[in-house]
Amino acid sequence: MNNLLEQFLSEARDFLQGIAEKLMQLENDPNSTELMVELFRFVHTLKGNSGLFDFPEMTRVLHASEDLMDAVRNGRVSYSQTLADQLLEAMDFVSALMDEIELTGKTGSNHVGTSTELTNALRALLNAPNAVHVPVAIETYTEDGLAVKAISWSELPPMDLPESTAMGLHRCAIDGETVLWLQYTPEPECFFKGEDPFFLIRQIPDVAWRHIILNNTASTLAEMDVFSSQLVFQLLTIASAEELDDLLRYVPDQIHRVKVPALAFVKPSGNSDDVGLDEDFIINILEFFDNDEIETLTNTINTMLELSSPDLWSSSALRWVLHLIETEPDNKPVQRTLLEALRTQKTPDWSALTLPDVEPTRNVVASPVVSINTSEVSDTLLVYFHEVIDAQKEILSLPATSGGAWSAGRLKAVGATLIGCYRAVQRANEVEHIEAALQLALTENSPTPLLIWLDNSLLDTHEPVLVEEHEEHIVVNHLAAQTDAKSNRRSEEIGGANIVAASKTLKVDQDKIDRLMNLIGEMVVAKNALPYLANRAETVFGVRELSREIKAQYAVINRVAEEMQDTIMQVRMMPVSFIFQRFPRMVRDISRKLGKEVELVLEGEATEADKNIIEALSDPLIHIVRNSLDHGLEMPEARLAAGKFATGKLLIRASQESDRVLIEIIDDGKGIDPDVIKQKAYEKGLIDESTLERISDQDAVNLVFAAGFSTADVISDLSGRGVGMDVVRSAVEKVNGTVGIESERGKGTRLFLSLPLSMAVTNVMIIESNTQIFGVPMDMVVETVRVPRAHIRTIKQKQTTVLRGRIVPLLSLNDLLAKSEPQLPNEDDEFATLIVRVHGEHVGILVDDFRETVDIILKPMTGILGGLPGYSGAALLGDGSVLMVLNPRELI
Amino acid sequence: MAIEYKKSQAVFNDFIGVEEAEALLEWLQKNPKGKVNFAECTHIHASSLQVLIAIKPPIAAEPNDADLAVWLKIALK
Repeated sequence: MNNLLEQFLSEARDFLQGIAEKLMQLENDPNSTELMVELFRFVHTLKGNSGLFDFPEMTRVLHASEDLMDAVRNGRVSYSQTLADQLLEAMDFVSALMDEIELTGKTGSNHVGTSTELTNALRALLNAPNAVHVPVAIETYTEDGLAVKAISWSELPPMDLPESTAMGLHRCAIDGETVLWLQYTPEPECFFKGEDPFFLIRQIPDVAWRHIILNNTASTLAEMDVFSSQLVFQLLTIASAEELDDLLRYVPDQIHRVKVPALAFVKPSGNSDDVGLDEDFIINILEFFDNDEIETLTNTINTMLELSSPDLWSSSALRWVLHLIETEPDNKPVQRTLLEALRTQKTPDWSALTLPDVEPTRNVVASPVVSINTSEVSDTLLVYFHEVIDAQKEILSLPATSGGAWSAGRLKAVGATLIGCYRAVQRANEVEHIEAALQLALTENSPTPLLIWLDNSLLDTHEPVLVEEHEEHIVVNHLAAQTDAKSNRRSEEIGGANIVAASKTLKVDQDKIDRLMNLIGEMVVAKNALPYLANRAETVFGVRELSREIKAQYAVINRVAEEMQDTIMQVRMMPVSFIFQRFPRMVRDISRKLGKEVELVLEGEATEADKNIIEALSDPLIHIVRNSLDHGLEMPEARLAAGKFATGKLLIRASQESDRVLIEIIDDGKGIDPDVIKQKAYEKGLIDESTLERISDQDAVNLVFAAGFSTADVISDLSGRGVGMDVVRSAVEKVNGTVGIESERGKGTRLFLSLPLSMAVTNVMIIESNTQIFGVPMDMVVETVRVPRAHIRTIKQKQTTVLRGRIVPLLSLNDLLAKSEPQLPNEDDEFATLIVRVHGEHVGILVDDFRETVDIILKPMTGILGGLPGYSGAALLGDGSVLMVLNPRELI
Repeated sequence: MAIEYKKSQAVFNDFIGVEEAEALLEWLQKNPKGKVNFAECTHIHASSLQVLIAIKPPIAAEPNDADLAVWLKIALK
């Protein structure tokens, strides 16, 4: 499961919780617009988020909920109890889907039915104003077998099936296969959603008959809007319901399906004969039929068929009679009706034919309200049901436990299982009886009452609950059972069931983490005071023993504090994949736009860094990747000409190097031409003529980081406005990072960012100057040396010294801070010199003395002091004094 | 190019995408006697399909793709 999905799930649960809460509050205060708006916002956001993933069922239900909430918000529909119920039910469904996603990572197509039902119910509440959106379902799958707007098969449009096809389908239907008539009316704007209805419809397997209708509304061809779908597809298929559900899961509201019974195919066709068949012949064969002389009947019919033209309607009808005798020998009424129809030469109206004596399966077929899903689900369900019930019986017949008495726990467990089972098979009305038997069993402390109840009740449960048999009666029962089960489910969930789904992650407000961070910072400072105290104990009060004990305690506190600090830092850590995951899409879009072929490789996505660092990285990285795509990688033709693969490679790699995160962006493009850079920089006045002459290639490449630099001649929406790399550099430096670039002409460019893992703790070196102490960030310090006065030379009024063969400029800290006092050398007349790296160059800063290095929590300065660029912040030291931390970069 | 427009024939190749519909309608209007050749065609996007159904141009060659042939036959009869 990817992070995005994880995030979605965790957020979505919050939203669901929020929606439920708001609905509850609305119940007490139904007129509150504020609550209503908030509720809408929740549903709206949740829908939007779900759209990022491939969960069509979830999005559809949420979309309907959103529409409904929008209507409520605008006062078109008033808030009501039913509305709240419906919304809660929809949210239960969404929550169930999320459980499934959490387990399996996807949603099954078996939810199409429920989602359609919920969507319809929600839309129904929207009423007439939005009638356009209400799908006109001929038959929708509903769990309880009720069709919303059912038309029976007899109202289907004529299909003109060839006789052989019709007979084949008839045989299929008789053999128990489901023949479905399917009508797919794509919504007019479907092309804009990237759908191809024709492609979709072609995926449906086992199509026996098909038809396409064009509802062209335009009067002339010129007016025809080709990008608005005007097609209607109709077909007959024997594909399984699961297969169709899966194929059509994105458009269930545009599909009408009708289960076609076998009889519908019995439709003789052909030219009607003026004369018709001889009445004597008809009387004859009817007589044979009534006397059950089937063989004579078939012989007579065969003879008649040989004599008459095969194109006649009557011939077709006779062939059908033969076909029926073969396939359904026991279905006398139908055969007789067809024989009698020979007189009128009209297909009998099968829907009017009452079929009381036919076997039950036929009845099922003939009923248009049969829901395919229900029957199938309950069949498999019933199998499990019986398995579980049998197991319970076994448990009940076990001998009593060692104590001699039946333990109440076991009985209760069996009782709970039974109740659950009966609810699952929609027989919640039995629950009362089970509970009664359970009570009895508990008081008697024996399993007998439960066993007796089971034996009695099991007899009738072996019969599957067939809605079709006694339609009205059971449907009502069934409905009652369902609502019962549903309301139970909901309250259970609110009760205890969601403990199972409780997530292991905790969402904490960042402010709280920051506060923790500050507290631990104070703790570190307080802890650092202990060594001073120990020192004082020894030097001022002369109690050596106490001093040692304080030091021992300090060691313990120090360990705990460091661990705490580490842990809190861990909490703030985030993987770089958080910013990496947007790159595949971005690279794809940009490379398409530029007509380049790019292969993006991401490495080290699991590398972690502090949240602030990761967030600060996001913008610079986007800049860099855009630059690489725009300026770095060449067009495919240019690449081929240069002897490279047409597809360019862009590698973004993150890795950890001790306490820093290293991010590299490497492309194998044309690289940076130092000459071009020099020229451009000179033209823009960034370097003078003399620099132009002597600047090295690497230094020239580094010029891309100079402010206002741009090589692009044309300003595109991608890059070229001169706010590229210098912005990157300052953004990276803001979080104490560094950025560098290496490039080889024709081979490619490598950009690397080095960032601290965390910004929380800074390691600084304390130095002394003019009787004051200052801090200097350790990551800038290259080395500390003591330079004898004699080694300091003055070149052009600037102090310098030669250090290991290199000329290093020297600056006095007192000068930098505008103090007039000279630096103090030590007794050997040597100056303490701090060599720092600033913009890749070494500079020596003369100070009075070095002190120790400490870990501090650096606080940026605020208010008026915030405007002082020479300092990066201040920190509290263990003895309570304030340490000003210098920022040599700005200072020099 | 998925549809090649020749003097009197529009030749459909492979997979005809959604963007072809407009040009096809235009061509069929300009060439009322123009024929359509589906021989090498494997699929036609619904947008182009509805143009074909609306105009029902004479067919120069049926598709080699059997399934598409059945559909087109039904659609353009």
